[in-house]
Amino acid sequence: MTDTRRDSDLRLVLGLGALALASVALGPYILPTFLINSLLRAILYAAVALTVDVLWGYTGILTFGQSAFFGIGAYAVGLVFTHMGFSASHALLALVLSLVVSASTALLVGWLSFYPGASPLYASVVTLALPIVVTQILFSAGTFTGSSSGLSGFESFDISIEIWFWISGTFLVLLTGVAWLFVRSDAGRMLVAIRENEARCEYLGISVSRLKILLLMAAALVAALSGYLFASMQMVVAPEYAGFVFGTELVIWVALGGRGSLVGPVLGTLFIDVGSAYLSGNLPYVWKLLVGVAFVVVIVAFPGGLLPLPMALLRRLRGIPPPARGRGPMLELAEPRALPGLRGDSASALVLEGVCKNFGSLRVLDGISFRAGRGELLSVVGPNGAGKTTLMRCISDGAERSRGRVLINGFDTGRLPPERCVAFGIGRKFQTANTFDSLTVAQSLRIARSRLERPWLLHCSRTLALPDAALQVIRATGLDEHLDMAVRHLSHGQKQALELAMVLALEPNVLLLDEPTAGLTKAERTLIGRILRDLTEHHGLCILLVEHDLDFVREVSSRVIVLHQGQILLDATVAEVVESELVRSIYAGVGSHGESPS
Amino acid sequence: MTPALELQGISSGYGEALVLREVDLTLAPGEVLAVLGKNGMGKSTLLKTVMGFLPLAAGQVRLFGESIGGHPPHVVARAAVAYTPQEQALFQDLSVEDNLRLGLRRDRQLRVGIERAGEIFPFLPQRLAQRAGTLSGGEQKMLLVARALLCQPRLMLIDEITEGLQPSVIERLSVALRAECERTGVSILLIEQNVGFARGLAQRYAVMKRGELVDQGAMHGEDTAARIAAHLNV
Repeated sequence: MTDTRRDSDLRLVLGLGALALASVALGPYILPTFLINSLLRAILYAAVALTVDVLWGYTGILTFGQSAFFGIGAYAVGLVFTHMGFSASHALLALVLSLVVSASTALLVGWLSFYPGASPLYASVVTLALPIVVTQILFSAGTFTGSSSGLSGFESFDISIEIWFWISGTFLVLLTGVAWLFVRSDAGRMLVAIRENEARCEYLGISVSRLKILLLMAAALVAALSGYLFASMQMVVAPEYAGFVFGTELVIWVALGGRGSLVGPVLGTLFIDVGSAYLSGNLPYVWKLLVGVAFVVVIVAFPGGLLPLPMALLRRLRGIPPPARGRGPMLELAEPRALPGLRGDSASALVLEGVCKNFGSLRVLDGISFRAGRGELLSVVGPNGAGKTTLMRCISDGAERSRGRVLINGFDTGRLPPERCVAFGIGRKFQTANTFDSLTVAQSLRIARSRLERPWLLHCSRTLALPDAALQVIRATGLDEHLDMAVRHLSHGQKQALELAMVLALEPNVLLLDEPTAGLTKAERTLIGRILRDLTEHHGLCILLVEHDLDFVREVSSRVIVLHQGQILLDATVAEVVESELVRSIYAGVGSHGESPS
Repeated sequence: MTPALELQGISSGYGEALVLREVDLTLAPGEVLAVLGKNGMGKSTLLKTVMGFLPLAAGQVRLFGESIGGHPPHVVARAAVAYTPQEQALFQDLSVEDNLRLGLRRDRQLRVGIERAGEIFPFLPQRLAQRAGTLSGGEQKMLLVARALLCQPRLMLIDEITEGLQPSVIERLSVALRAECERTGVSILLIEQNVGFARGLAQRYAVMKRGELVDQGAMHGEDTAARIAAHLNV
């Protein structure tokens, strides 16, 4: 994004925010009382819808459970005020209770939904069950919770409806503003990265499960706070407010408004809920039917929701072209970091001892043992299906191994997940380009740096500091001219180069590269080869390289391992392997003398 | 003779950004043409446009004399066009056999097809029940070619098929494709980074730069190697 566009964006948001705050301030003087009353409820619902949008629209977690947190906030007020009476200290107690209970519930739900290996469906199923569980608890607690009729008639804050309107309106405007700044910030891009490619995030050392749990907890706190305000204001709570019907309605409002736009879901909720207040009296059942039909139509015809339509119209009327691509941030050279020290007396950066991998009865890797030192570039060659990629996976993810040990810089990786292995200094490039399609080149690189440089929470940095090797790859492949281009528009080879640069941005000292030059031209390959040699010779990296191009292997390697049917067939110098009759017969083909592409 | 494929001034791209600009190209029946060029120059975009995955912004695409510009991919495929894209082209959760079966019009041809595929890629007949997603990267590429050959195409669009294949398999593939051209008269539009493979297979080459064809010629001309090297900065 260019500076001018960023500034004009910020001005727009500040302007809209001021306008919204002014409307909130003037509202009670202009609007009829019935509308104010309906708006009060809709505003707090909209705050909850906003959390659904951040979870679903940006991070891809389809949640039906935000109503439960709203209910927890509301019932904290209802229970404390009913059973203990209203006072300032009790109001504080209710607030603390609503926040603590909702956050700890979210922690539990998050842990159940996002443990390593959970599929995205788990979160939806668990969050669908949550409101049902909460309402069942409320039903079964008898007079304590008021069962199905809820609690009402308790004393609460003695505040006029106008002041409630100002409080809740300001709450919603500020919340929307903060959420807007957050999702556009460097840290907010991580939500999209998680939605697009969790595996890549993990291999960049980002703890996806922890981030998702934290996000769910933050969303739960906002929903609980909305519930707290709601019950304090309406002086009534009922199980429906925690129910899954409400939870599903939130999803519908977000989809109708336009998910992934923040403003869309807020406006969608306000319109539909206020509309319901007016129309459900006249058209009690038809109204719900209309909303349902609208939902289906929007999902089919306008998957982006309704907000983008008036925006496009506005743009056309004002003759503004669609946002142009900017230059992206300025590239900078990052200060090199000292490599983490070797642990113990281990002289090897990478040690494998008897690594095995079984798929059912099939043994794909069979007792692989070798050591690789710093400054060594070890190539792994072998026929297709020999187990090369499986070997890479078993080194970088502890849970993948069936047997055996892997030590990285002297640290035993045990059964640790990839994001923890990254902390020992390992970086892995996948065989097929593994990137974030809807992020830009610069955003992807920044996410790769996030383990080393904490990204900004509420704004975007104008510079991007990368280590020398990553900069070289980017400049050599011309990616520096496309920093602001969405990754999905890059060619296959450019994606490969970007992923390599992302892994190098991690500043690993044990580098696993699975066919890093596939899809690159001979010239680009030569350049990558030079960069890899430089990394081993001058920066002491240990590189494990899977490659079919024997010329390339000969140019860059210090040693070669030949893998065949899951076993090490040969562990020797480059010359020995290239001259080997055995290698020629199983791998390189007749007449080929390691002759290769090009 | 009617050309197998004729492109007249085609332009296309993603959204409003044009990637291909006024590309003219003719491919005779039985001919193999290799499109070379650096990364991001529009080579894959060319194949996607012919196949109908991207809309034509301008120009004409003729397949065996018939205009197919603007037709969706499944219609283009029914005109006996086999496309092997670079990424995500197999049904990962289906077995090897089912992946092959989907390349066929009639199930009866499957046995013969598998036998023929086995001649080029000996591992395939032994692994028919395996889930395609569990094949290694290179094996997936081989399955992709096998499926493309199975549907008896008149035109093949092949996008960097040698990526990730071991040298001996590349050699065998080159021989097999050449034999296929002679036997069935299939034409091939080939995109390759592996210039050695392209030289062995293609009669003509074209070089693409920033969405335009900047050079075309016979693959085995006197100065071809030097010209290609100059274009690719080798």
